[in-house]
Amino acid sequence: MTGAGADISAMRSSYAQAPGHRFNVGDRVAVKSVFPPGHRRTPWYIRGKHGVIERICGAFPNPEELAYGFDGEPAKVLYRVRFTQKHVWPGYQGPGHDVIEMEIFEHWLEPDDRADGDAKP
Amino acid sequence: MSDKPVNKGPHDLGGEAAGLIDTTDHGMLFWEKQANALRSVLSRAGIVKVDELRRAAEGLEQYGKLAYFEVTTSALRVLLLEKGLVTEAELEAKMAEIRRRFDVPDEMESPIKQKAKR
Repeated sequence: MTGAGADISAMRSSYAQAPGHRFNVGDRVAVKSVFPPGHRRTPWYIRGKHGVIERICGAFPNPEELAYGFDGEPAKVLYRVRFTQKHVWPGYQGPGHDVIEMEIFEHWLEPDDRADGDAKP
Repeated sequence: MSDKPVNKGPHDLGGEAAGLIDTTDHGMLFWEKQANALRSVLSRAGIVKVDELRRAAEGLEQYGKLAYFEVTTSALRVLLLEKGLVTEAELEAKMAEIRRRFDVPDEMESPIKQKAKR
């Protein structure tokens, strides 16, 4: 633990500026339900699921391009997205307020435009 | 989910039934330390990126059967060949040379020697 006089502003942060981000904290989003070839980091089990933007992590070189030796530019905005466990796992036995949070790149997300108005993911 | 997952990598296991996990710490063998050092040097020098190593690893046919350092070292092999930094012939020649180095009388029945003979 840091002492009382520690300069926490000097502590490193992994945050990278993300100008021009498409989504804001609190926005409801859906993870794209697509299955393209390539080096994809979005797990299968979360594709097609609905969640809420928990934070904007920043913009980072695209791992889908880095994986093949390219520079990953332009950087992609990365979000932490919150999902309820009950929604992600059919038959989930835990409490309804249990959540799973996952960091997902912007190009894997789209606005959650379900017409039923259900605010819960 | 469809019955037949399309383009699902062998690493993408979330939600699948899991067996028992061996949590014993086996330590690192000598070759594993060497291989790990080589991977670290090549990464820090910017010659290979971690994303490339993951991509190469997840593309290995034997992914699920190999141990951790076998996976990372096999992935490194794929990338070095891909980038033209070594050739298949050079690797084969070096491995043959090293095997000969181990081919000495061994009263202790070295497991390395036994493995090389297979």
